[in-house]
Amino acid sequence: MSSSTSVRTDAPAVVLTGITKRFPGVVANSDVHLTVRTGEVHALCGENGAGKSTLMKILYGMQPPDEGTIEVNGEQVRFKTPADAIKAGIGMVHQHFMLADNLTVQENVVLGAEALHGIGAKARRKIQELAGQTGLNVDPGVLVEQLGVADRQRVEILKVLFRGAKVIILDEPTAVLVPQEVDELFATVRGMQEQGFTFLFISHKLDEVRAIADSVTVIRRGTTVGTADPKTVSSRQLAEMMVGSELPSPETRTSTVTDIPVLTVSGLVLSAPDGRALLDSIDLVVHSGEVVGIAGVEGNGQTELVETVMGMRKASAGTVTLGDDDLSKLGTLARREAGIGYIAEDRHRHGLLLTQPLWFNRILGYQTRKPTAKGAWLDREGAKRDTERIVEEFDVRTPGIDVPAAALSGGNQQKLVVGRELAGDPKLLIASHPTRGVDVGAQALIWDEIKNARARGLAVLLISADLDELIGLSDTIKVMLRGRLVADADPSTVTPEDLGSAMTGAGSTSAAVHEEGEN
Amino acid sequence: MSVMTKPAAATPKRGRKLPGWAIGMLGVAGAIALLSTTSYLTNFPQLTSSGTTQTAVRLALPILLAGLGGLWAERAGVVNIGLEGMMIMGTWGAAWAGYQWGPWAALVSAMVFGALGGLLHAIATVTFGVNHIVSGVAINLLGAGVTKYLSTLLFFPVSHNPRESPPVPKFDTYSAAGLTDWLATLENEQRVVLSDVAGILRGLLTGVSPLTMIAILLVPASYLVLWKTRFGLRLRSCGENPWAAESLGVNVYVHKYIAVIASGALAGIGGAALVLNPGQPGYLEGQTGGRGFIGLAAMIFGNWRPGGLLGGAALFGYADGLQLRSGGETVLALLYGAVILLGVLVILQLVRRKWFAAAFGIAAAVVLYFLYYSLDEIPSELTSYAPHMVTLVVLAVASQRLRMPAADGVVYRRG
Repeated sequence: MSSSTSVRTDAPAVVLTGITKRFPGVVANSDVHLTVRTGEVHALCGENGAGKSTLMKILYGMQPPDEGTIEVNGEQVRFKTPADAIKAGIGMVHQHFMLADNLTVQENVVLGAEALHGIGAKARRKIQELAGQTGLNVDPGVLVEQLGVADRQRVEILKVLFRGAKVIILDEPTAVLVPQEVDELFATVRGMQEQGFTFLFISHKLDEVRAIADSVTVIRRGTTVGTADPKTVSSRQLAEMMVGSELPSPETRTSTVTDIPVLTVSGLVLSAPDGRALLDSIDLVVHSGEVVGIAGVEGNGQTELVETVMGMRKASAGTVTLGDDDLSKLGTLARREAGIGYIAEDRHRHGLLLTQPLWFNRILGYQTRKPTAKGAWLDREGAKRDTERIVEEFDVRTPGIDVPAAALSGGNQQKLVVGRELAGDPKLLIASHPTRGVDVGAQALIWDEIKNARARGLAVLLISADLDELIGLSDTIKVMLRGRLVADADPSTVTPEDLGSAMTGAGSTSAAVHEEGEN
Repeated sequence: MSVMTKPAAATPKRGRKLPGWAIGMLGVAGAIALLSTTSYLTNFPQLTSSGTTQTAVRLALPILLAGLGGLWAERAGVVNIGLEGMMIMGTWGAAWAGYQWGPWAALVSAMVFGALGGLLHAIATVTFGVNHIVSGVAINLLGAGVTKYLSTLLFFPVSHNPRESPPVPKFDTYSAAGLTDWLATLENEQRVVLSDVAGILRGLLTGVSPLTMIAILLVPASYLVLWKTRFGLRLRSCGENPWAAESLGVNVYVHKYIAVIASGALAGIGGAALVLNPGQPGYLEGQTGGRGFIGLAAMIFGNWRPGGLLGGAALFGYADGLQLRSGGETVLALLYGAVILLGVLVILQLVRRKWFAAAFGIAAAVVLYFLYYSLDEIPSELTSYAPHMVTLVVLAVASQRLRMPAADGVVYRRG
C-alpha cells in the first residue's frame, strides 16, 4: 500500500548519530541512530516510554542531547531552541495540540513566525493560500476552540507549512482521529510528499505505519533496534521488534454473557444549559459477564453518558439502576459504594492526584470503605498494604509506594488505576479509554484484567476510540452519534471501517451494523 | 495535490456579532439614558452634574490604571493580586520624588517603584515558580510594610508626621474653556437628557491634567500593543498556552517578565494618580484603600479586555465620586437606578423565556425599591463602601459569562 515515490539519493534529510540523553535516574535515549532520506515518510515505532518523544524533542531543539550529533541535509547542527530547528526547516506537529484555544487560527499560525509575513492581511492571504494543501476550510479569523479535532490538526500542519519546514515530524497524529479522518490525513501526507516534503511519522499503530511509511525504524527501551521495509515486514513482526516478545491481542475467546442485568439505563436525558440535548433518551443494559462497547467520534456524548451514570452530572430525566438498586438520585460516592468501578478517560484530571504518593491515590474513591478506612478514619496501613498488593498483582513498575504518582509512566499509572477500580469486587466497571496513551505491555495487562473480571461475572461498559480494542473486547457494540445510541454492531463480524462510517453518521454500510429500530 | 472530500460541516461563525467599539457606544448610551432617567425621576441633578463627573474621573483613574496593570499581567498568564502592594509603592515613590522635584518626577518615580514591585512578583512567580496568589499577597504586605518604614525614615523629618508626606505639587489642569462655558449654561437649564449629557461632558472636559490624558490614552495604547503587534500576540499566547508558545520559539519567561514589570509600572502610575489628585495633599498611609483590588475587579468585569475594563473603572469611580460629592441621599438614588436597570433586565429575561432569572430579578428589584422607599439616606458608615458594594454586586452578576486567559495563574516550567 505504500506509495513508492522518487526518493532522491543525495544527502539524507536528517541523520541522528549516537544520540544519548539522560535524565536523573533514567536513560531516555542511548546510542540512537536514525537516518531519514529526503522525500520519504519515515515511521518511528516504539512503545510508550521507549524514548520516541524524547528523541523528537531533541531533534526539534526542545532538549539538548548529552551525546551524539544531528545532521540536517548533510550539515551538522546544534539546536538550542525550537526556533533553531524551525530555521533548519524542521517542523513538529505535537500529539497534544500546541494551540491556544482563545486565539484565532491566524494568530495561532503566525505566532512565533511574525517576521515572515507580519500578523495582518498579508499573513492572512498566505494562510488562505496554504490552507488548501492541508484540507483546512475555515476562515482564519475563527477561534480555534470552535474547530473539531481534525481541523485542529490541520491548523498544526498549517503552522509548520507557514514556517517553510521541509521536514515534518508527526507525533502520533492518528491517535485522536476516526478512520475516515485518518484516510484524509494520509491523503494530505501523500500529496505533500509528492511536493518534496519529508515526514517523520511517530506511531505505535502498526497497520497505519505499514499503510503510509516508506521505511520504519523501531525503538525499544531508548535505543534503536533496527530499520525495516514496511512492504516486506508484517505488523506482527514489527510489534515483536517493539516489545521484544510475544504479543497480546484484545480478543475475548468464549462468551460469558449471562442474562442477569447489572446496569440498566432507561430514558436517560441530559440537557446542556442552552437546552440542547447532550444525551437523548439513552436506553442501555449491561449484563453480568458482558462487555458493552460504545463507539463514537469524540464529543458525541460518550463522556457525558459516563459522567451521568457516575453521578458527576445530573440527568434531566431517566433512571440508572444497578442490580436492584435505583441510583438515579445518589451522588457519585454512593454510586461507587453501590459497586461501580470507574476508569476515567483522563487519569490526570479525574483518576489520580499526581503529586500524592501511590498509597494515597489508592484511597481516592474508597475513603469510606475497607481496607482504606476504619469507621470515620482513614486506614493508612490498610491503604499501604493494599497498594503493595496492586503493585504486585498488576505489575506496576515503581520504586515504591511512597513515590508520587507523577513519577510513574502513563502505563504504570493506568495499571494502578485499573487495580484500584477492580479492588473491592465491583459489579460494574466503567472503562473510558482504558488503554489510551499506554504502552503495549500495559495494554495487554489491562486487557487481561478486564477479561478475567468479565469471566468472574463483572459487567463492563467500555468506551474507546481504539476500534480494534472495542471490537476485540466487547460482546456488544453500540454506536453513539450526537447524544443518541444510533446503531448496534456485532463485534464478531464488524470491521473498523464499518464502525467508522456508522460513527460519522454515514449510515450502515455492512450487515454487521444495525441501525436502531431496524431489526 | 489531493482533493479532500470533507463532510460539509457548517463553517464556525466568527466570534462576536458586533464590533467592540459598537458595544462600547451602546453601553455608554445605555448608561447615560439610565442616569438621566433616574435623575429626572428622583430629582437629584447631582447624579449627572459636572462636579460628580469630574470627581468620578479623578477617582476612576487609579482604578483604571490598576486594572490595566492587571490586564497586562493576566494576559501573559500571571495573576497579579499584588497590584495593591505595587500601587502603595507607587504612592510612596510619587510623593518622595514629587515633593522634591515636581509632578513629572513623581510620575516617573511612581512608575519605577511600581515596576520594582512587578519585578519582584516576576522573579517569584516566573523564575521560582511560586504560586501567584502567595507571591501577590506577600507583595501586598511588603508594599505596606516597606513604605511605612521609608515614610518614617524620610518623610517624618520633613512633615513631622510618619504617616504623611510633605505636600506634593500637582499638575496644571486644562479645560476647554469656550466649550465648557456653553455646556455649563446648557447644564443649568435643567432640560431632560440634554442637561445630563452636558453635565457629564463638562465634567469630562474640565480640569483635565496630563496624567488624566496619559491614563485615558493608555487604554487604546494597551489594546493596540496587546492585540495588534507581534509582541502583543506573543505576550497573549503566554497567557493562553505557554507550552505552545515555547514550542514556536517564543521566549515565555522574557514575555512574562516584561508583562509583569509593565503591570507593576501601571499600578505605580495608579498610585501616582492618587497622590497627584488635586484633592489630596500628598502621600497618606492607607491611601490606596483597596483600589488595587477594585482595579482587578474592574478588569474581571471588563472580561480581560481594555474597553470593558474602562467601563468597569468608570462604574466604580462613579459610585465613589457620587458618595464623596453628595453623600448618602444620592447613593440612595442610585438604588432607584438599579431598580430601573433590573426592570430592563427582567424584560429581557422574559423575552428569552428565562423564568427563573426573571423571577430573581423581580425579587431583587422589589427589595431594592423597598429599601429606597423606606430609607431617607444611606447611613454615612455605609456610603463610603459604595464602590466596594458595587464591586461585589457587579462581580456576582457579571462573572457568569467571562472568559479568562486559559493559562492564567498556571505556574509555567520550561521543557
